[in-house]
Amino acid sequence: MGEKNAPVGRILRTVIPVAAWILIWQLLAIIVQNRIILAGPYDTLSALIVLVRTEVFWSSVSATSVRILTGFFAGSVIGIALGCLAFKKAFIGDFLKPFVSALKSVPVASFVILLLIWFGSRNISVIICSMVVFPILYLSTIEGLKATDYRLLEMAHVFRMPISRQIRYIYVPQLMPFFRSAFKLAIGMSFKSGIAAEVIGQPLNTIGNGLYLSKVYLETGELFAWTIVVVLISFICEKIISLILKLF
Amino acid sequence: MTIEIKDVCKSFDGQQVLKGFNLNIESEHSYILTGPSGCGKTTLLRLILGLDKPDSGTVKLLGDYKYPFINSGMVFQEDRLCDNLDAVTNVTMVSKKVFRETVIEELQKLLPKELIFKQVKELSGGEKRRVAIVRACAVPSDILIMDEPFTGLDDSTRKIAIDYIRDKQGSGPLVITTHDTKGLEFGRIVRF
Repeated sequence: MGEKNAPVGRILRTVIPVAAWILIWQLLAIIVQNRIILAGPYDTLSALIVLVRTEVFWSSVSATSVRILTGFFAGSVIGIALGCLAFKKAFIGDFLKPFVSALKSVPVASFVILLLIWFGSRNISVIICSMVVFPILYLSTIEGLKATDYRLLEMAHVFRMPISRQIRYIYVPQLMPFFRSAFKLAIGMSFKSGIAAEVIGQPLNTIGNGLYLSKVYLETGELFAWTIVVVLISFICEKIISLILKLF
Repeated sequence: MTIEIKDVCKSFDGQQVLKGFNLNIESEHSYILTGPSGCGKTTLLRLILGLDKPDSGTVKLLGDYKYPFINSGMVFQEDRLCDNLDAVTNVTMVSKKVFRETVIEELQKLLPKELIFKQVKELSGGEKRRVAIVRACAVPSDILIMDEPFTGLDDSTRKIAIDYIRDKQGSGPLVITTHDTKGLEFGRIVRF
């Protein structure tokens, strides 16, 4: 009986807090009574409905998603590859250390402005996402490899286990817990930084451009609507990545 | 193939584990290394495998052995199995030359059939030990080296395991470390 109700209970545990927060949001909107300062859930939903009926919305969503995901994958591949190399060859790790530290601490806005000067605004979110994702995956790969059970590696050495099998049966299972949390963090950071780059860089027909225009025209409802769209895309991408990682 | 161990000394943190140790390990012979814990049995196996280097003395591979390293089947003191994989995969994963059908057949000689497709983490200590024994014997090797392979096995499974190992020994030497030499009288007992 209890087991049968478990999925319902799980859904309720998600739905009830979300509904409570929407209610709090609506109450605050009623108290503030100013759509420019705080658009309520109803205004946001209305703005979202208007938005999804426009062609610009879909072109913006697809352009931004493609760019951010391209940056995410590029940053992930480079991060994992260089993480493996840095683990194998200490001098590569030493060489990359200042660069990775800089990427971690320098504000995204500084990079965006610099990259705008160098490359223009069109693909700025691709580069920014790669730069944000790279250190996360790079450091997780190194940490994961360091945590690999040396006894299993010694066993593999004694049995002359081919490297492809070592990767499949020893390294990948040991790295997966690190990758799961790293990818989850990285995809969220990608959308945050990618959209921020678009807001500053202003490439046309992007979510960042939509957010900027909402600000200019004081359309708070539309601003919230775009924000909800970003959260939704990020959530869907995170779920897809989790599903892919479960295959390993 | 002969492995010549000559005047080998090895110490860890100032404590001498092996002092002037000598032994010739020859093909088709079995060596049962026995002695109290910490007397250097595992250390000697690691030196034979080239996992550690002696402080002094030599471990040499004599004869016309064509490889630069010893091709060995090994049972480690700890099982060193991948816990999330089943017994069959744990054995097949180590070499391309180990075939799934053969491994299933071999595992069934030491384990009940219902256990061989279970994740290794669900097996008992003795069952894991038997998986490690099959893995060591399944890989084509020139020497079988087993560090306390019978830990956790009762008398009857121990006997079955010993018979299995002897059957798989082939023409290479067999080196076993153990505290209990019962049933291992076929080999040359080396006391530490």
